This record gives sequence, C-alpha cells and structure tokens, in this order.
Amino acid sequence: MSTQTVSPPGASFFSATPARAFAPEDFAGDEKLMIDTAEQFSRKEILPVAERLDHQEDGLMPSLVKQAGDLGFCGVDTSDKYGGLGLGKNVAARILEFLSLNGSFSVTFGVTSGISQVGLALFGSEDQKLKYLPALTSGQQIGAYALSEPNSGSDALSAQTKAIRQGNKWILNGTKMWISNAKWAEQFLVMAKIDGEKFSAFLVERDFPGVSIAREEHKMGLKGSSTARLVLENAEVPVENLLYLEGLGHHVAFNALNIGRFKLSSMSIGPAREALGVAATYALDRKQFGQSISDFGLIQKKFALGAALFYAAESMIYRTGAMIDDAFEQYAGTIDGNRKAAEEYALECSACKIFSTEAESWIVDEMLQVYGGYGFTEEFPIARIYRDARVSRIYEGTNEINRLFLSDRLRRKAKDGSASLTAAGDSFISELAGKAIGQVGADQASIGAASDLVLLAYAEQSARLRSARFGGIHEALYTAFIGYANAKAAESYQLVTGESVTLPAISKPDYAEIAKAVYSKRGPAV
Amino acid sequence: MKILVPIKRVVDPYAKVRPLADGSGIDLTGQNFAINPFDEIAVEEAARIKERDPSTQVTAISIGGPEVEDQLRKALAMGADESILVESTAEWDSPSVADELAAYLKDNPTDVVIMGKQATDDDNNQVGQMLAAKLGWPQATFASKIELKPGEAVVTRETDTGEETLSLPLPAVITVDLRLNEPRYIALPGIIKARSKPLNKVAPKTSPRLRTCMTGVESPPSRQAGKRVGSVDELLAELKGRGVLNG
Repeated sequence: MSTQTVSPPGASFFSATPARAFAPEDFAGDEKLMIDTAEQFSRKEILPVAERLDHQEDGLMPSLVKQAGDLGFCGVDTSDKYGGLGLGKNVAARILEFLSLNGSFSVTFGVTSGISQVGLALFGSEDQKLKYLPALTSGQQIGAYALSEPNSGSDALSAQTKAIRQGNKWILNGTKMWISNAKWAEQFLVMAKIDGEKFSAFLVERDFPGVSIAREEHKMGLKGSSTARLVLENAEVPVENLLYLEGLGHHVAFNALNIGRFKLSSMSIGPAREALGVAATYALDRKQFGQSISDFGLIQKKFALGAALFYAAESMIYRTGAMIDDAFEQYAGTIDGNRKAAEEYALECSACKIFSTEAESWIVDEMLQVYGGYGFTEEFPIARIYRDARVSRIYEGTNEINRLFLSDRLRRKAKDGSASLTAAGDSFISELAGKAIGQVGADQASIGAASDLVLLAYAEQSARLRSARFGGIHEALYTAFIGYANAKAAESYQLVTGESVTLPAISKPDYAEIAKAVYSKRGPAV
Repeated sequence: MKILVPIKRVVDPYAKVRPLADGSGIDLTGQNFAINPFDEIAVEEAARIKERDPSTQVTAISIGGPEVEDQLRKALAMGADESILVESTAEWDSPSVADELAAYLKDNPTDVVIMGKQATDDDNNQVGQMLAAKLGWPQATFASKIELKPGEAVVTRETDTGEETLSLPLPAVITVDLRLNEPRYIALPGIIKARSKPLNKVAPKTSPRLRTCMTGVESPPSRQAGKRVGSVDELLAELKGRGVLNG
C-alpha cells in the first residue's frame, strides 16, 4: 500500500516531478515478512529442483503450485471473498518477483496467480467469480489465458476462433496458441469472436466436451513450464460462461494484459536478481592471474551496470504498482471502475515491461559472460537463466508492440487533455523527450525511438526520486544508470529529430563500490 | 499453560559483517535483521505446543527500539498470541536482560520460558541460565525434545556423551538447540492474522547495569591460501615435512 492516498494521474511523470514516489524500501514490516517467505520458498523448494522441473518430472510443478497455494501465494491480490488475501497489486508483484528466481516456476505461477485471475476478478459476475476463483486462489487448480492464435499474435483482434450460440450453449471452434500451463490447467480464459465478429471472453473448463490440448511445444527455454495449443472442436460452453459482455472481450483481454505487463516486469527482474547472485558467487571463487576475477575492473563494471539497470527497473516497477493500487482503491467496485483503474497507468505498465525485460536480457547476458567458457555449459545455472529469459521480450505484447503503443498513448492522452506534452525538464532525458515528442514521424522507427525517450525519462525520474531519499549506494547506482541512459536517450533523440546532441558531463560512476555491494549481498546492490 | 518466549533481534546470521573503521562495533549499514535463529526455533516449538493444546497462551517478548516490532510481528505470524516490546534504546548485557525478564515473570505468572540457547550475534549462552538462577526455577538447556505435562516438563538434551532426559517441575526455563525443530514457512494468512494480535509496548521495570564493556572489534586474520596436493603420498610427505606427522 502506498503512503499517499491519491497518486498523480497516468502519464503525468512526463510533465511533472512528484515530490515523492513509492520505493521498494517502503513496503511495510509485515509485507516484508511475506516477501521473505516468498524468497525462502524459492530458494529452498524451487531452485534445488530446477533441473527436475526442466525435465518435466511428473507432477512436480503442480505440487509446487499447490504448496505455494497452501502458503497463500496464489491469490495475494484477489479479494478474500474469493479465497484470496485481498492485498494490493504492488506487494503481490514484489512477492512474485521473489517467486520468479526460476523462470519455469515463474511463468507457471505468474499465469495462474495473475493473468488467468485478473480478467475474471475485474470483469466477472459474482456467480462466475464464486465458481472459478477459489480453486485458483487456493492453488487447487491451475489456470490459463488463451488469446494468441497461429495466425493472430500481436494482431490479437484478428482472432479466428468463433463462438456460435446454440440454445443454452456457446459452440467454440478454433485453435489457441502458446497457452502457458496448457498441460495442467483446469480452466482457461478464452477469447473468441461471436458469429466471427464480436470479440468476447469465455470461461472454458478443460473437461467441457470438444476441448483438447495438443502436444507440448519444444521451447528454447522455460522447459519446465508447459506450453501447448488449446484446440476447440465444437467445444460446448454453458451460456453463462460468457465473461462480461458480447463484443467487449477486448476490455477483458487488454486490461488483463495491462496488469499482466506490470506483473511481468517483476517476473523478469526475479531471474535478473538470481543471475547477479550466482555470478557474484562465481566471480568471487574464480581465480585467474593469481587473483579473484571479482577484483578485475571490467568484471566489476558488468556487476555495477547490471545492478544499476536492476535498480532503475525496480524503482519504476514498484512506483507504478503503488499508483495502480491507489487507482484501484479510488475507482474499483464497479466493472467500469475496475476498467478505469486497470487502464489508468497503461503507459507506465508498458514502460516497465519494455525496460525491465531489456534490463533482464542485458543482465543475464553479461552475467553469463562473467563465467567465461563455463557459462556456455550446463554445469552452472546461468545457462538456464539465460535461455529462460529470452521470451520475456516477446510475450505479454512484444516489446515492439509496446513501443508502438507507448508514445502513441502519450500523444493521444495529450489530445484528449488527460496529459501534457510539455516535458518536466527535470533531467537531460526529460528535456530531450520534450523536444522530440512534437517531432515524431509516422514511421515505426521514429515512434519507437520516441517511446524509448519517454520510458527512459520515467526510469530516470523513478531512480532519481528513490536515490535522493536513501543516498549512499543508491546515489552510486543512480550515477551508473544515467551514464548508460543518457547515451541511449541521445541516440533515440537523434533518430526522432535528426539532430545530434552533446551528452552532459556526469561524475564518474564508482563501479568498484557497486560491485562490492553486489558481491556482499550476492544479488542486487540494495 | 502459559509460555513466554524471549526473542532477540540479530543481524542476519548469514550476512557477512565487517567491523566499523574505528573498531568501535559492527558496520550495520544496509544489513538485514532477523529473529535470532535459536529463538525462532523456540517460537516454533511454542506454536506447535499451542497447536496440540489450543488453550496454551504464547507470549513473545523482546527488549529494544521500535525496529524490533518487525521481529515481534513475525513471532505473532508464527503463532504467538501476543507480543510485548520492552521499549529501550539502552545497551543490555546478559545479566540485565535476565533481571528484566525475571521482573516481568514475577508480575506475570508463567508456566514455562522457552528460549534460544544463545544468540548468533554475541554467542553468550547466558540469559536462560541466569534467568533460572534469579527466579530459583529449574532449567534444562540445549533441548532437542520438549514434552509438557501438567506441572512437569520432560526435556531431552544433547550432551557430549549422548542424550539426557530430564524431568523438571514447572515453572521452568528451557533453552533450545538446533535439532528441536525446523521452523515452517510463515503462511501469508498467518501474517495477516497477526495484524490483529496485540503488540504491547511497556517501559522496562529495571535498568541495565553493564558488567562488561566492549572495547573493540576487529576482523579475524585472513586465512592463508591452502596448498593442493595431487596424491595421498604427496599429502603424507607434506604433513611429515611440516612436522605434523611423525615418521
């Protein structure tokens, strides 16, 4: 729960600097206890069986989900009326981060505790919620979310799965692709078009006639998770299992995705956290030229920049989560209110998704590099972490789709008066973003580069607000981060405007100090 | 049955700590804190006793500043019925803590005190024994098994020569060892339930009187690098060469 009751409106970071923003340090004492329990559970129950999970050992993953359910993890932010804990989305996301140290468990758990519940929780009728949510929040059943199709991925609304009303049933036909948890799920949130036209959401049980699961996909990573097609051949769905209204399935699907993108952001820094930890342990042990490689400057730089990117990602994710919680507190209750709350910070959710998944990629890649040749073998956990991380930039909306959405969303909000394009100018990046946003071309390269400026402005502001409050190593992390971010922003600015720009002078980042903090914590520096 | 579990807030037992530059203490910046692991085992034991006999009342108590509330809340989440924070920012040594606990127990009839055998920060292993002596209660230290009966505690304790089973009339003080139990994960609903359990703040009944004074802290000397040998013969030769083995 945030310390302020009313957060600034969505996208306002662009044009104003708040006096204060929620930081991960602000979680309350007993929330920290919950987060600790999550970390212990990850380290003691999940990480030791990572290899067995990758081999899809029979029953192992569902039993871990059940165990997580027994501890109360499966419905943290779902109302206690439906067996959840009724806590905020922010603490739920932080718990999720620590349950995401292993990627395969992360995606399995993330889907059943997140995107398979949120559409139902926000848009379901009371009967639907009472019927389907308690099995998910208790971990007794696993849920899944079915939007993509073989020929409709990013272009989700072009879905071909059809629903036709026959008496008191909907008859569904089509194939849903990339369904995480397909092997274990008892319930699926399925998007289909009524009469081939009206995009709608349906609650489909695995045992309904005409529902089947195709063979497992052979994936590059996340081998311990299940991904397969959901095949609907004259599948019979009771008429009351239409979720929300005919033709308004996109509200369900996309708002579940807004929250999904926010949650995915914490799911992607979980493995980055673990990568920093295992690589720190390796670097401290590995000796070359008669000394520990952890003392080498170029190795320290990797840890320092990795920790700085992690710091910025963490700062923006939990700042966003606190605002989302406030929005739910302010608006939730009715379905329209729920929708407004889930939409308010859609831009910030996309910014978090892009930045966090790319920070994750950078971190797992450079942490693998720390291992040298050993990183390229299966002897150490880093190879698995590296493989598992790759999909983060693809699912929950590819980073390209999110980039097209982001700056466009800001400009639309400016048009309808709910945001301003006059930048706060509180940093070098913000100044560049302010100058560039009026010059965005129609081409995707230009729109994408403008989005980079906007999301970097958000990351920078979030990291700055946090580091100013806590000082010390926080300042060092912030300095290391802007060294990296300013250069990226300058490049994006040039892409949008065609003008070159001189980077401002900044103090030299203390890579050694940050690296030492990473080594001593065996994880992110703070 | 009323159980009192004194707990101590300690620096994360798995963290690497460093002395402050001037050697006046430990550098605690950025460190995490936890319930002393032995005390956590004591809380867990009390929670298990309560599960078997729901009429049991478990109170956790600690001395310190507001920061100790985190650990006292954790004790509540683990199953304690109430927590007491004796508010003090002063330094307390073992006899002072024992004095304060004895004063509490004189006013609050309790059947048994269960606590860690020592704290991981100073490793003193004193408070339980001192408390029993001050109260004139029987004590059993290093418990690896506890059975409570009406008016009696049966405690199995580990000694250098094996296991020893003691019978103690209640009230008594029991200090616990690692093998007694393994604390469970704290389920989230328990943490939420703990929000409505009482955490009472009280002023100390005694004043700490320090008998010892810590004059300095320094790091242990760093270990010399080892030598890797290729075979048993080489190892034997090396040991003989260094005069560790004869012949």
